[in-house]
Amino acid sequence: MNQTVVSEGTGPAAIKKGSIARKFRKHFWAYMFLLPAIAIFIVFLWTPIIKGLVYSFYHIDFVKGNTYVGFANYKKIFHDSDVATSVKNTLYYMGLCLAIGIWVPILFSIAISELRRFQGFVRVSAYLPNVVPVVVLYGLWRWLYDPVGPFNSVLMKLGLDQIAFMTDKRWSMISLVIMETWQQFGSAMLIYLAAVLSVPRDWYEAAEIDGAGIWARIRYITLPSIKNLIILMFLLQLIGTSQGFQSQLAMLDGGPNNTTLTYALLINRYAFTRMDYGTASAMGVLMFIVLGALAVIRARVENKGANS
Amino acid sequence: MKNQDRGIISDYDLKKGSVKIGYGIMLFFIAVMVFSMLYPFFTTLFNGVKGNVEVNSFPPHFLPQEWHFDNFKTAWIYIKLPLFLRNTLYIFVGNMAVTAFVLGLAAFSLSRLNVPGQKYIYMFFMIALFIPPTTYIIPNFINLKDLHLLNTFWAFWLPAGASAFNLLILKEFFDGIHMELFESGRIDGASEFRLFLQIAVPLSVPIFSTIAIFVFAGAWNDWYWPSLVLHNDSHYPLSTAIYKYVLNARMLDTNIRFALLSMVMLPPVLFFLFFQKYIMRGLHIGGVKG
Repeated sequence: MNQTVVSEGTGPAAIKKGSIARKFRKHFWAYMFLLPAIAIFIVFLWTPIIKGLVYSFYHIDFVKGNTYVGFANYKKIFHDSDVATSVKNTLYYMGLCLAIGIWVPILFSIAISELRRFQGFVRVSAYLPNVVPVVVLYGLWRWLYDPVGPFNSVLMKLGLDQIAFMTDKRWSMISLVIMETWQQFGSAMLIYLAAVLSVPRDWYEAAEIDGAGIWARIRYITLPSIKNLIILMFLLQLIGTSQGFQSQLAMLDGGPNNTTLTYALLINRYAFTRMDYGTASAMGVLMFIVLGALAVIRARVENKGANS
Repeated sequence: MKNQDRGIISDYDLKKGSVKIGYGIMLFFIAVMVFSMLYPFFTTLFNGVKGNVEVNSFPPHFLPQEWHFDNFKTAWIYIKLPLFLRNTLYIFVGNMAVTAFVLGLAAFSLSRLNVPGQKYIYMFFMIALFIPPTTYIIPNFINLKDLHLLNTFWAFWLPAGASAFNLLILKEFFDGIHMELFESGRIDGASEFRLFLQIAVPLSVPIFSTIAIFVFAGAWNDWYWPSLVLHNDSHYPLSTAIYKYVLNARMLDTNIRFALLSMVMLPPVLFFLFFQKYIMRGLHIGGVKG
């Protein structure tokens, strides 16, 4: 940062006249204040993004230097059966997260808004898992899901068959989604709750006088009022879950038999296990194209929400 | 408080039998939810004070039968916790300093100093909000390697200044400060830097503390990225160390493992319980936009 300040410091002395120069001088400090941030954004955000695009056409070798390989990295991606598996797993993961994760916070936010007492306590306890560091959660849930852990002991008491939550191929991804839904439930719920509570109370009063039942009030007043928020949270969840890989990595390392290998995890595996940084960058570029489209849609929705 | 606003259900509704039953069912589900949120938390704590035979017994008990507080002593010396804690704090303090200084100044300039071309500069920053970080995680790593920042704390401190989100909420906060304050400061002959330091910053303590909470949560939670960027114990933050040496340890007794997890879990949880009012507000700012 010092460097940039020094090199720009000679600026105003060199410029003496002209309206551009005067303008520059007048706003010298304003630009000076922006400079460190612009420099950091360029070096640590835009450079990697552009490098990623470039690297996707190269074979990266830290020792011998990089060699241009054309579209070979992309060809490799389309011929790797792991990529197909990972895309399928990612879509499955996103679908599960939506199926389990979207409606639970909405339902509870409406229910909790009706609590007359202990609302503060319920809010705080719902948010508690968000505060616990994720590494602690990984350790904890590995134990909860253990073949001789609490879940299986409850199943046994109920007279049901034991479930190998982590090692059964049918259950592994579902187990991760349950864990993550549990952890992230609170923050989504609180956001919905704020929206539900901001619906004017007299609308319900008026509806009640008009003879609308409780379900009708929820259906025609509460839900339409938070519709934009629901769409926004839906998109945020799509964008968030499509990038998920950390719990898959920490809990199961993509196993058993690649059933929890997500696309983002495969990117990391290409880079740090197979040492093929070029292909990993190319996978990043492809992901960028797909998610970029989603992000634009999200921006549209957000702006619409702000204007209405 | 008594005449406080009604909810969806009115007092009149609650006198009806069917509504009462429905309300009771709702209360039951909320109670189940609260229990499921609190149970794992207490399980971690209680497992940390059980004897090792007891933790591994099936079916598991919730409350410990004997209390082994010496587990914490064993856990404390099992890995170099103070060192890892120091590293986490280093990362937090440096990230926060860069955020406050770099992004604070930039947000102040964008919000209050009317630079020509401001719109485009602002757009330059905000586009970053739409770029999912996972897509450039690999080139980001290579970039840090090229800059010879691997295995230094600078690899965290400097990129902390590239957060469009923090810039956005700082700018929005500065936008809300009355213009007259700055104009009177200017009339009194204050420089731009003094306007920032003596008017904008003192008025922005709430937003800086909100950002501090985000930055702290990041530094305390993040385990994967540090495990790539840093290579030795003298740099690993707490989360990474727990992942490497506790979660993946084979020879570690389960009760000691939980004692370690409890020690990592308690500070942020206590912090949250004390400052929940501010954190909840910060959550609301962060939730929708983030």
